[in-house]
Order: sequence, then structure tokens, then C-alpha cells
Amino acid sequence: MLYREAGDFKTTYRSDQQTFPIKSERFLFWAVIALVALAVPFFINDYLEKAVLIPFLVYAMAALGLNILIGYCGQVSLGTGGFMAVGAYATYKLMTGFEWMPMPVIIILAGFITASVGIVFGLPSLRIKGFYLAVATLASQFFLVWLFNKVPWFYNHSATGQITAPPREFLGFTLTGANAEPYATYLFCLGFVFVFAWVARNLTRGRIGRQWMAIRDMDIAAEIIGVNPLMSKLSAFAVSSFYIGIAGALYFSVWTGAAEVTEAFGIDKSFDVLFMIIIGGLGSILGSLIGAAFIVLLPVLMTNIFARWLGMSTEIAEHMQITIVGVLIIFFLIKEPHGIAALWRTIKEKLRLWPFPH
Amino acid sequence: MTLVDTLPAGQREVLLEVDNISLSFGGVKAISNISFDIRVGEIRAIIGPNGAGKTSMLNVINGFYHPQEGTITFEGVPRKRMRPHHAATHGIARTFQNIALFRGMSTLDNIMTGRGTLMKRNLLWQALWTGPAEAEEIEHREAVEKIIDFLEIQHIRKTPVGRLPYGLQKRVELGRALAAEPRLLLLDEPMAGMNREEKEDMSRFIIDVNTQFGTTIALIEHDMGVVMDLSDRVVVLDYGKKIGDGPPEEVRNNQDVIDAYLGVPHE
Repeated sequence: MLYREAGDFKTTYRSDQQTFPIKSERFLFWAVIALVALAVPFFINDYLEKAVLIPFLVYAMAALGLNILIGYCGQVSLGTGGFMAVGAYATYKLMTGFEWMPMPVIIILAGFITASVGIVFGLPSLRIKGFYLAVATLASQFFLVWLFNKVPWFYNHSATGQITAPPREFLGFTLTGANAEPYATYLFCLGFVFVFAWVARNLTRGRIGRQWMAIRDMDIAAEIIGVNPLMSKLSAFAVSSFYIGIAGALYFSVWTGAAEVTEAFGIDKSFDVLFMIIIGGLGSILGSLIGAAFIVLLPVLMTNIFARWLGMSTEIAEHMQITIVGVLIIFFLIKEPHGIAALWRTIKEKLRLWPFPH
Repeated sequence: MTLVDTLPAGQREVLLEVDNISLSFGGVKAISNISFDIRVGEIRAIIGPNGAGKTSMLNVINGFYHPQEGTITFEGVPRKRMRPHHAATHGIARTFQNIALFRGMSTLDNIMTGRGTLMKRNLLWQALWTGPAEAEEIEHREAVEKIIDFLEIQHIRKTPVGRLPYGLQKRVELGRALAAEPRLLLLDEPMAGMNREEKEDMSRFIIDVNTQFGTTIALIEHDMGVVMDLSDRVVVLDYGKKIGDGPPEEVRNNQDVIDAYLGVPHE
């Protein structure tokens, strides 16, 4: 009986509205945090860092952002790749232009720059919704990629058209460049995801989050009971782009170290992140993380199983992996259209009564 | 009891004045030259056959439609064009004919959303949560819990509203409108589709809102028994025109009103 709420009485509104209302849940949460923050850094290696953990954290960040926009505010966007590019190029310009600037400041500033771009491209949402808005945001995707290719200032006139992250230290730990330490980059990304997942939770449970959801569920009624649609939609675009910008900044600076815009931030990035939040669960913080894990980690796991342990050739393993991940996506969407996070909620409801369901 | 409360409805201070409103959609005249007033603390019924322009009238009052002609004066201030969320921040709340709750949210969240106009903390405080934002949330939660107690919906506090039966959804919707602490509450067919018991419950809530909170109420309703019992004054619309206005007993005996409801042979 690990999971029980019997005897866990709430006597204040404060304790009633906390994120993890059940004691065992809180315990589980902090245990996981302790594991990933204190234990993982000791056995992390290059492979685990570059192929598994950093990709997961970067995509988790992007998924959190897109989920705020689509899952909470109901505004469909296909511009994720473009906004990640804004984050990456802002980081590059800040890193090369202001060498004294500490990395966390650069990443946050890149987030704010992306947020302002996001507000501009969010303006059409005041007039159009649904599929039409999705197409309008698609325009931002193609425009931004074109812009970063077209204007040499963005890539400092480099001959290849690529941007490359110069080595930077923070508090004595090398975060970017060839000599970056796996544990340092991992903890850096983990810190961002932890803090901003917490911020996302705070935003979505308060007044602003409720107004986003009101716009999502019934925009006309929301306006009539006093929700300002302009403020709500644009704040959702701003916050969402802020997150996606940070994801792009981390993608470029800490993960890949170099990027070429067409290749790195194409339309497939937008779809990847969209699939993550649909599979993980729209309108759920946990869902964003699960979705990112599903899309990023499952292929890695599959490749390992087929190629390393079962000794298949890499091509066959690759194809097997694509097929199986595809089937799993269909399976999950049929079994639980509201995402894996909803599956987890159902399990929790069952666990509350376990082992006596009646 | 203040002096205002003891006066008969017709002699109290005017809360909202509708003056010569006309509204048309293309060639269709939904409302033509309607004037009436709503006075502080009264229950004002708007009745009329289907298509008479009752809902359009409510939509004009809370700024969803903009009339081509006429003025609306609320609390002594005339207004021209106004977005619905401005009307809400100025103290006009409403419920809808077809339930317009936020289906993905719990009862508590729905009612808390109704309180959004009274909450002040900005995005940055909300992002931090700990401190002012949390204190504000708790303060408003207490007010919302009072409404939940008042409407007797404690047991469904955390249930997603999509799962609730119709009658309870109507009640949650009333709660959401009350949460904004409106000075004028517009109810669009609060009892449509309810059985007798639910209607009696709803009538009791409407009367209690009026007497306990002192909220002025304008309601559209088709159940004549309910209208005659609840309201202080009734305005009758037919084909976008006002055909009667006055206390229930007067309206009941008005020949135009009887004709509108029963139909008259056209020569």
C-alpha cells in the first residue's frame, strides 16, 4: 500500500491545492529528483549525455512550452522549429557579442527574445483559430528559417552558414564547446527543466492558467465572464515561445554545439514536439515530460535492444525501431486518446482504492 | 435593510437604462426601438415568444452585440461600444441559454475563473507562486467556497464539469457568474430543460441571491409560473418590439401580451 490517501486530511486551502496532494506522491517525486540530480551525475558518460539525457531534457523543455500553448490555451501552433531557431540564433549572437555574459543569463535572454518574436507571430490568433491558425504559424516556421539563412549577420558571416558555440564556463564548469563535462551540461539542462516545469505548473494552476483553459474550452463564454482574449492568447504565445526559445538555446549551445538552420530547425522539429505533447497528454505538465521521453528515449532503447543485444544489423534494427515506435504510438492513441498522462491518472484513481475496488 | 430595499421596485434608483436600442443583422431587425430600465435590487424578467429578441437584448447589455442605435447607461455612465470582458469588469455577469461551462475544468476551477476579474497578481508573481500569488489564490478560494456552500455543490467541487448532470451544470454556471460579485446578473433561461424539483431549487437560489447578496437580476424565462412568482417587474418583447412593461399582474392582463402568446387571427 505505497499509494494511499487515507488519513491524509487537508485542513487548509493551502494544503488542499498543493501540486502533490498525497503524501506518498510527494515522497516519490522528491525521491526521483534526488536520484536524477544526485546519483545520475556520478555515472553519466558521453553517450548517456549526448544521446539520451540532454536530448530528453531539451525536448522536454520544448514540449512544456508547446503544451502551454496548445494543451492549455488551445491555440494550435506548427512554428516550434522556427522558435527554437530564434532561441539558438539569439544565444549565438549573445555568446559571440557579449563574451563576459554568464551562460544562464544568455539562455534566459534568448528565451525573452523568442517570447517577443512569439508575440508577433501570435497576433493572427486574435482573428483566426484551429487549422487556420496552424497554417498561419506554419508561415512563421518557414519565414524564420528563411530569415536565418538569408541574413548573414545572424551567423556572423561564417563561410559555411553554420553557427558554432564557443566554449564557455559557468562557476568553473565548462558547459559548451568540445571540452564540456557531461555531468555539468546535464545538471545545467536539468536545472532549467526543473525550474521551468515548476514555473509552468505555477502558471497553469493560477488565474492566468485558468484563463488560458477558459479560452481553450469556450472562448466566447470566457470573454463574457471577463477574460481578456487579447491578453490571454498573447501571454500564452509569449510564455510558450519563451520555453521553446530556451529549448532551442540549450539544443544549440549545450547539446549539438553547432547548428545549420534548415537542417536543425526544420518543420520536422515542429511535428516532433507536437507528437510529444499529443502522446504525452495535452494540458498536462507530466504529459510533456512523458511525451518527450517516449519520442526521444524509445528509439534509443529499441536500437540498443536490437543492434547490441540481439545482434541484428544496424539497418534492420533501425527499421524495426521505426516500425515498432509507430505501432506503439497508434496503440497508445487508441487505448488512451488523452495521452499517457491520462493513463497515469487512471492508474492513480485505481490505486486509491486498491486492493478493494468497491 | 436600507431605505432603497423597502421601496417598491418601480421607485428605486435606476441601475441600467436601455434607451431606444435598435439592432439588426443585415436586413433582419432583431430589436427595434426598445427602452426600459432595470432598478437597483429588483428581479426584472424579460419574456416573449421565441425569436422575440430576448437573448439579443442580453447580448446588447453585456456588450457582445453592438446596437446600431440607442444608448445604454449603466450606473449613470452611458456607454457606446464595449467589449464583453469590459462589461464583466464593470460588474455585469451572466449565464447562458445553452450551458457554456469550461468542460475540461473542475467545478472549483470554473468558479475560480469567474473570479478572475477580481484577481490582480501579474504573470511574474504567478510564476513564482509562493508569496503574494498564493495568498491571493487562497483569499479568493475562500470566497469561492462560500458560493459553493451557498449553491450546495460541495460534493462536486473537484469533478470535471463535463461529467456533471445538466441541472448541476446549470448551478455551477450560476456559481461562476456569482463569483465575479456582479451588481447586475443576467440569467438566460436559468430553468430551461429542468424538472419541477430542479426549478424550485433554482428559484430558491435566484431569490436568495437577490435578497442575501442584494444583486440585481435580469432574467429570461419561458415558465410563466416562475416568472410571475419571482419577478418584481416584467418586460415583454415580441418581434423585437416592446409590447408590455410593468408588474407581473399588470402584464398578465395586458391584451397585447395575451395576443402575442396565444396568437390572434390575422385578417
